[in-house]
Amino acid sequence: MAPERMRRVPGWIAATSCALSMLAVGLTAYLTVTHYTDPTALACPDTGIVNCTAVTTSSWSVVAGVPVALLGLLWAVAMAAVCSPWAWRSAARWLDPVRTGLATTGAAAVIYLVYVELFRVDAICLWCTGVHLTAVALFAMVLVARANRANTVGREVRPS
Amino acid sequence: MSKTPSGPGRAARPARPNEKNASVKNQGNRPAAPSTGRGFTRFRRNHPILGALVPVGLVLLVLVTLVVAKTTGGPATAQPAASKIVAGSTSSEDGNGTSALPSGVLSAVESISPSTLAAIGDPSSVSAPTATPSKTAVLHASDGKPEILYIGAEYCPYCAAERWAMVVALSRFGTFSGLRATHSSSSDIYPDTNTFSFFGSTYSSASLDFVPVEEQTNHVVNGAYTTLQTPTSSEEALLARYDAAPYTTEPGSIPFLDIANKFVSIGASYTPQVLQGLSMHDIAAQLNDKNSLVATAIDGAANQIVAAITAATGVQPNTTTSSGS
Repeated sequence: MAPERMRRVPGWIAATSCALSMLAVGLTAYLTVTHYTDPTALACPDTGIVNCTAVTTSSWSVVAGVPVALLGLLWAVAMAAVCSPWAWRSAARWLDPVRTGLATTGAAAVIYLVYVELFRVDAICLWCTGVHLTAVALFAMVLVARANRANTVGREVRPS
Repeated sequence: MSKTPSGPGRAARPARPNEKNASVKNQGNRPAAPSTGRGFTRFRRNHPILGALVPVGLVLLVLVTLVVAKTTGGPATAQPAASKIVAGSTSSEDGNGTSALPSGVLSAVESISPSTLAAIGDPSSVSAPTATPSKTAVLHASDGKPEILYIGAEYCPYCAAERWAMVVALSRFGTFSGLRATHSSSSDIYPDTNTFSFFGSTYSSASLDFVPVEEQTNHVVNGAYTTLQTPTSSEEALLARYDAAPYTTEPGSIPFLDIANKFVSIGASYTPQVLQGLSMHDIAAQLNDKNSLVATAIDGAANQIVAAITAATGVQPNTTTSSGS
């Protein structure tokens, strides 16, 4: 049945989501590396509200002892795995809920982190914003893929 | 029965052809007929893709609301979580006691006219750094550049005053980035003196290294200011050596400024009283006015620091504006 599932997820969704998740891996990897090396070395302007260092060195940049950047990297790697072409072609039923759950977690985290940036740290990190945009776009991709598959399958099984 | 994802998508999701007894399993979830669907259910049935994007729209709506609330300063400025509430904090401050630098302040500090600085010179109201014994070796950082060490704290009003002079002085040898705004303790002498925080900042210079250590925030938790940074063992050794007699009558005082081990300055170079009640904008706006008390204090102290740096290291300041531009 795997070929049927592959056919029902439009190629542009698989390709776009894979590219977005790889972009998220790159961005979060950069943030993680700078967190552990030199947080002030982020290539980022310091023009008022935009201040990456203020965000990445604030007390909010660590959750339960784990850097938020590292959590983001783990999330991005997981998203890259479930949004790979092989994952989209896979017939494994657990992939769909896991993919949806990860994307939803990412979107929820974006809301929380944007709130923290705006109202607690009072600064915006451009690199973090890149990850946020990627996460919301992935959320949209996964939901569209899910709806597309359900809609296609539904038409096939409905008696004419 | 296989597990399926929960949420609004589930009720309308038809069975997949590879699910056993699919038609039986989905009977309970499916409306009796498409024509009986109402509102959102009907919308989702007729426009499945758009229906699936509704959660994305909600996420975007929340994000836009946050941005609008921030830009308008509306009531959505939420209170911090209980575990984050600390004395003396304001809604615009982060957990480090700092907030974004007001626009234009740093550029004003970096663009003080050389003629203003020269006119102010070395006023008698400003104390100069003290020279260490002439045989003392120049302190170098690991990259070989002369090192200037500052140790202070955000709550300290004397540090607040000294930071203004330090930023003016050091901007003549390099460039700061990532500077934040903070203020001294609200409950100490010279309360709420507005100033910079060096925490999280970067200083770039071809000829000098600047190492700032902000030991505590201006937030009190359980009767003590929260820790921000801790000096290294070598920095502690310099404190023990130079933040003591004969350089000070109160060993261990801050602000402590070590200019390459050749000069030390302990305490504020001028009284923080001149900054009382002034915003960062107010202070920055006066720095180019040679007749103002603020400029006399800050620029005069900066001149003293610049002279000490030059005498200690041989490095000459930029002579155009204080940032060299």
